[in-house]
Amino acid sequence: MLVEMKQITKTYGPLVANNKLDLSLNKGEILAVVGENGAGKSTLMKILYGLETCDSGEILIDGKPVRFRSPHDAIANGIGMVQQHFMLFPTFTAAENIVYGHEPKKELIFFDRKDAASQVQALCKQYGMYIQPDIKVADCPVGLQQRIEILKVLYQGVNIIIFDEPSAVLTPQEVSELLKTLKELKNAGKSIILITHKLSEVMEVADRIMVMRLGQLIKTMKKEDTNIEELSFLMVGHKLETREIQKIEQGDAVLQVEHLTLSGTGTKNILDDISIHVRHGEIVGIAGVSGNGQSELIQCLTGIKKFDSGKVIINNTDVSNRSVQENRDSGCACVPEDRYFWGTASDATLLENSIMAHYHKKHMMRYGVLNRKNIKKFTNDMLAEFDVRYTSDKQAGKELSGGNVQKLIVAREISQHSPFLVAAEPTRGIDIGAIDFIHGKLLDKRNSGDGILLVSSELSEIFALSDRIYVMYEGRIAGEFSRAEATRDKVGLIMMGGKLNG
Amino acid sequence: MNNLYLAAVINTTFRYTTPVLFAALGSLACTKCAVFNVALEGQMLAASFVAIVANYYTHNAFISLLAGVAAGAFVAWIVAVFQIKWKVRDMVVGTAMNLLVQSVTAFLMQAIFGSRGTVQGFGMVPLTKINLSFLKFSPFLYRMFEDLSTIDYLGYIVAVLIFIYFYKTVSGFHLLSVGINADAADSLGIKSQRIQIWAMVFSGILCGFGGVVHAMGNVTVFAENMTSGRGFIAMGAASMAQSHPLGAIASSLFFGTALSLSKTLQGYINSYFTEAIPYLCTVLAITIYGVVISTQRRKATIKM
Repeated sequence: MLVEMKQITKTYGPLVANNKLDLSLNKGEILAVVGENGAGKSTLMKILYGLETCDSGEILIDGKPVRFRSPHDAIANGIGMVQQHFMLFPTFTAAENIVYGHEPKKELIFFDRKDAASQVQALCKQYGMYIQPDIKVADCPVGLQQRIEILKVLYQGVNIIIFDEPSAVLTPQEVSELLKTLKELKNAGKSIILITHKLSEVMEVADRIMVMRLGQLIKTMKKEDTNIEELSFLMVGHKLETREIQKIEQGDAVLQVEHLTLSGTGTKNILDDISIHVRHGEIVGIAGVSGNGQSELIQCLTGIKKFDSGKVIINNTDVSNRSVQENRDSGCACVPEDRYFWGTASDATLLENSIMAHYHKKHMMRYGVLNRKNIKKFTNDMLAEFDVRYTSDKQAGKELSGGNVQKLIVAREISQHSPFLVAAEPTRGIDIGAIDFIHGKLLDKRNSGDGILLVSSELSEIFALSDRIYVMYEGRIAGEFSRAEATRDKVGLIMMGGKLNG
Repeated sequence: MNNLYLAAVINTTFRYTTPVLFAALGSLACTKCAVFNVALEGQMLAASFVAIVANYYTHNAFISLLAGVAAGAFVAWIVAVFQIKWKVRDMVVGTAMNLLVQSVTAFLMQAIFGSRGTVQGFGMVPLTKINLSFLKFSPFLYRMFEDLSTIDYLGYIVAVLIFIYFYKTVSGFHLLSVGINADAADSLGIKSQRIQIWAMVFSGILCGFGGVVHAMGNVTVFAENMTSGRGFIAMGAASMAQSHPLGAIASSLFFGTALSLSKTLQGYINSYFTEAIPYLCTVLAITIYGVVISTQRRKATIKM
């Protein structure tokens, strides 16, 4: 047994994040720790990596009890972590990032960058993960940045590597690269703890699987002894129904975009001649690696950004380059992609957050005075309907957890019953239960005859909901598929700039 | 205007450049690790004052220098504690400190010297002057470098040393990394807050040199609020140099020229206008800087 964690308990005030958890890791195996957000996976790993201390319980490494006060102690004991949010310096080179904190020196104080580059090259060779030592991190795509993170951990000479939701930010192609890397690391004798809630990945690489729910250990089992259905049942605590997408009659276009073009500052257009449409009773997905113009498209559609040419027609009203207000008045609602930056005001109360963009409507406001009573009723009914966990409607937005903030935004936008909805990354970073709930609400909206434009970097989401799929690549619509003809491979290929043969 | 007059103007330029250069180096040392030091002005003024007080009691230029530098460092340390440790907003701390130093020095001046306005004389000694006798063959060059103090030369050496420190040493690498992503630095075991506090204290030391040379480089004198915005000019110089230590030499010389012109042109042009020259130059420089930076950013976004 390489690592053993025994009876680990950690509480934050009244919240028990980890309740008498046991974890064991053998040499050269991949242990997957699965569970919904808030199950306590991250807390447990923070304890193992020295970022948090546990209230009770003990950690044994090679049978010897240890106590970590900082990640430094963990690293000294051979434990490294690849964090979900990369800890990189964008303007430094790959080599500089990898050797950071253990830089090769010459004459005691000088940084030997040449030696650093050659050490990094040797490391790359050893583990078969290639990277240019002198490339700037800012110029690397996310997958490469993650590789730099992994090499950084390996450079520290650790034997145990914790991966915190490593695939959350990657494209499908990058994910398969990552899974290959994990297997290679395992073959090189490293032990790996993989935190995730993506069960297909777990089934592909893990040797053993530990399921957690609400701070409790539910079960640890061998991969051979379980399957995805059982795992998701154990994670969520109840069975998730597989959704059938109901066939319904699709009406006229509710959104029509014609030749929309947004120029950049260079020669290349950020959005290049985009023509798309969404019909009543239809969910249209926009797939693509983030940063290929999706954000700008949303901003142009909702009136935040002004574009150079083209037309946006929502619900038969030409709203091209009109204000956000006119845009919304024409029948457009929007779940923005960043719940904190666009979606909510973190210091405002839930009441205020719930009526944002709608406060001027008749039942909310009269002669410029807000109707407190109606607003209170509206907010509490809405939050109850959408299962937002809150203690008071006067709470500040930032006091809610991410998943609940997301539910609030979705609730607010859906409650307007607008004929058209832009849903951008509606389930980013939230757990299966909440995802399932939001997906259900979006489908209900579609079934009631409204049109939805779903922008998501999560392919499984696009596939689960869309009637039709557009793929965006470098500011253009690079492909269009009906639900029947779309496959992950085809869409994934076009997302990466590839072309379909024939 | 004869040749020697030009040499004299250049000489004045060097003198005016030194305090700005030191403060600009202090400013950029902070900027490089993501600390915005607004209190340069206060750090310099405190150093000028304490140096003069030490000079008054000891008549020793070296002790005065040490005292002044210590004062600059002390003020910087207080700012660092508030701004970095207790996370008070930089503008609030910096402005408060600048005003505090300004009023405390004015008050102490009256308490110690019993006078308002300026303190001068009392047998106070200036900094040691260097004359480069090997330049005697050319009166022009000789006049150009006449009577500069060691500290005047030190400024350029420090700039080069800071350059080497930033880009060649491990410790400098860590300082720069804090400026780029302090969270990442912390996660990798580098104590970013400690680095930031040291950078601030270091900037206080540099401003200390600047303040001392300002008070004792030429005529040994202290006047109420005698730094008169040099800390802010230095901030402009540092940002114009995009926080590059060698660039700071060039930008400081630019502002040194502006300051020197404002003095030397006084006899020829309306003095209200000449006094405005350095500040006009600041606005001009910041405008140019802004335009350059925004085009660079635009280029950078295209690359992405």
